[in-house]
Amino acid sequence: MTTQRAEAAAAPAIDIRFGQVGLIQVLIWTTDPGAILDELTGRVATAPKFFQRTAVSLDVGPLGREPSVEQMRGVLEAVRRAGMCPVGLSSGAAAAQALTQPLGLPLLPPFREFQPPAEALGGALRVEPVPAQAEPAGALAQVHAQPVRSGQRLYGRGRDLVVTAMVGAGAEVIADGCVHVYGALRGRAVAGARGETAARVFCQEFHAELVSIAGVFRVFETLPPELAGKPVQAWLDGDALRFERLGA
Amino acid sequence: MTEIIVVTSGKGGVGKTTTSASLACGLARRGKRVAVIDFDIGLRNLDLIMGCERRVVYDFVNVINGECVLKQALIKDKRLETLHVLAASQTRDKDALTEEGVRRVLDELIAEEFDYIICDSPAGIEKGAHLAMYFADRAVVVVNPEVSSVRDSDRILGLLASKTHRSANGNGGVKEHLLLTRYNPRRVANGEMLSVGDIKEILGLDVIGVIPESPDVLAASNAGVPVILNDDSDAASAYDDAVARLLGEELPLRFLEEPKRGFFARVFGG
Repeated sequence: MTTQRAEAAAAPAIDIRFGQVGLIQVLIWTTDPGAILDELTGRVATAPKFFQRTAVSLDVGPLGREPSVEQMRGVLEAVRRAGMCPVGLSSGAAAAQALTQPLGLPLLPPFREFQPPAEALGGALRVEPVPAQAEPAGALAQVHAQPVRSGQRLYGRGRDLVVTAMVGAGAEVIADGCVHVYGALRGRAVAGARGETAARVFCQEFHAELVSIAGVFRVFETLPPELAGKPVQAWLDGDALRFERLGA
Repeated sequence: MTEIIVVTSGKGGVGKTTTSASLACGLARRGKRVAVIDFDIGLRNLDLIMGCERRVVYDFVNVINGECVLKQALIKDKRLETLHVLAASQTRDKDALTEEGVRRVLDELIAEEFDYIICDSPAGIEKGAHLAMYFADRAVVVVNPEVSSVRDSDRILGLLASKTHRSANGNGGVKEHLLLTRYNPRRVANGEMLSVGDIKEILGLDVIGVIPESPDVLAASNAGVPVILNDDSDAASAYDDAVARLLGEELPLRFLEEPKRGFFARVFGG
């Protein structure tokens, strides 16, 4: 008994860690809860496993005005009823700041302004303060030669990720830059993980479960027959994710 | 030089224990000194398949806890002189295994100059499975020709590449082999089962053996005689080929086609 108590006292009650996870953003164009619920329910139904109980952040920026607390309560209720779990507000707008207190939600940093766009990095002559953890600009790609197996996750932080083997179903390959897979891509590929809209996904044999670029994603319940098993690239055209067969 | 081989799969019921028993017998029959260890603490089965369940006095957990010496717990096989079985404990759970304890037992077996140590892994990816694969030099991943087994094997292969002693120490990683069991050529032809080619492609590994689905396997388990010792069985020949490939021989895969049925069998039914 005494030894058990001694062990319990030695173990800390909590641990605080810093980590980074992907978060889905819901951009609000209206504060009409009915319209939001309708549309979200439809989207959730297209990929129930991906959306159910998933944490989302609400961006009130697109509204262009400050919604009232009451309106936002309606919006939150609609999002919850659609099966998602709102965990914060995100927007540079001062509007969101005023809402955090009454709604009891934290304010998260704006999504796509996380990193300066690539043009600014490439052409910039002015000296900018470099964040402590950032990789140097134009860092070499991270190269991985072993198969990425189900349950494994690779992350090319601040750079491209190149996999010269296959990526299995249930595996995740993520990069802040582009993702290249010289083999079969059966798992999930996430390019532009920190909002780089010029990032692309390339693979030699397309069987992906999910492809995401700068937060815009598509799940593949059924693969388009013209792309299945073919070399494919994906890129972002405005807000639309586009796919094209390579070398066709 | 002792080689530690883990037989693993992720998914349960695919034939890990049957495979462990047959590979161990096959290696011993070729004159190798073999110890086969059941890592499935609490769900002990290997002793049944090996037909030595009534001779288990001390087990793996007893050795780890220092309640007996290794020699007392190693059960000598009655058929093959160089084959030894270390049974799991039926009354404990997987927490009874510790990395330190497993390492000590394996080191002792290595000191006894065994040629091969076969570790029969439990299903799952928790502690028992983790410790069974942790010290391995090679892995035989047992796969059934169906999607959930293939997915689980992919997961296990990922763990073999990242969560083993060899990968942690940069010793070139664990050498991985695939072994297909319950392969039914007719159902493959009908598209009801994945083919060898499909599985090779999905997992990106070479196949060390294809064991045809056979009633002999169940009969052998019930009789406590590893199926490889049944000279009339296709499954036995397939396991024996796998043992040869494990030892570096190159043999073509057999039993991938449905056996031709004779005229009378076709007319009167099989």
